[in-house]
Amino acid sequence: MSGEEEENAAELKIGDEFLKAKCLMNCEVALILDHKYEQLQQMSDDAANQVSQVFEKSLQYVKRFSRYKNPDSVRQVREVLSRYQLAEFELCVLGNLCPETPDEAIAMVPSMKTKGRIDDDEQIEKMLQDLSLIKKFE
Amino acid sequence: MVFLEAEMSSNVLLSPEHLTPQGLLLRKSIITRLFEDIANKKASKEHGYFIAITSLNSIGEGRVRTLTGDVLFPVNFMCLTQKPTKGEVLTGIVDKILKHGLFLKSGPIDNIFISEKLTGEYKYVPGENPVFLSEKQGKLEKGVSVRFKVVGFRWMEAERHFQLLGSLAGDFLGPI
Repeated sequence: MSGEEEENAAELKIGDEFLKAKCLMNCEVALILDHKYEQLQQMSDDAANQVSQVFEKSLQYVKRFSRYKNPDSVRQVREVLSRYQLAEFELCVLGNLCPETPDEAIAMVPSMKTKGRIDDDEQIEKMLQDLSLIKKFE
Repeated sequence: MVFLEAEMSSNVLLSPEHLTPQGLLLRKSIITRLFEDIANKKASKEHGYFIAITSLNSIGEGRVRTLTGDVLFPVNFMCLTQKPTKGEVLTGIVDKILKHGLFLKSGPIDNIFISEKLTGEYKYVPGENPVFLSEKQGKLEKGVSVRFKVVGFRWMEAERHFQLLGSLAGDFLGPI
């Protein structure tokens, strides 16, 4: 039992689709799915029956595990993370898990360091501080 | 959990009663059928779980199936999807505790197993309400949110879903 032979997210050895397509964080998906659900409610009285189980479970999940709720904060999070040389996949993992220390960040996204893009912990520290400021002012 | 907005193509089959002279109704029938098809399909080995269609890129010219009279429309659209990756750190919710491990659910993924060999410092504690307990880090029981690493997964064609194997053995993994 395994994924593809070489696949390993810790080393950013992930499928092409992750590297080319747009990756979204939980908080971004929460906004999209909420909006979709409202659209469905406007079109029919029976929105609850119109959405699939996959949709429901995903909506519940992203709402529970979103650190940032309001659209402006969500946008700021993406902006802050985009300033660093991160792959979309790595950006999303950081935005989702919201590590508190550089050690935790590196444990969650080991590929950040191995590809030599973010060499010193101070950069990571600054990134995490910027993210928690957004939360403070939400 | 990392979500992808992927471009996808699908063929929507409409039977003749949907083909009215009014163009608007036709488009609506195609879209409704597409939504139904994707909801029924749930997931694929290639793309993962189909969460929601986000936009329609194009609807091609219909081609009539001569034997049945149905019309096939090629549709190109953007879909929000989710697919597990080996080595990824995910968050899940504990669903069942057993002696040989625990089962979790995470978003659309219903079937995640963490073997008791991979629970790190957490050990099984039997009882009316069995749990996994660790001296330093606390308790794992039904309903608890947990961070785990994906060790492996496989696609189950019959059930149309993924089965994941996870691990709690690592820094910063465990209950949150």
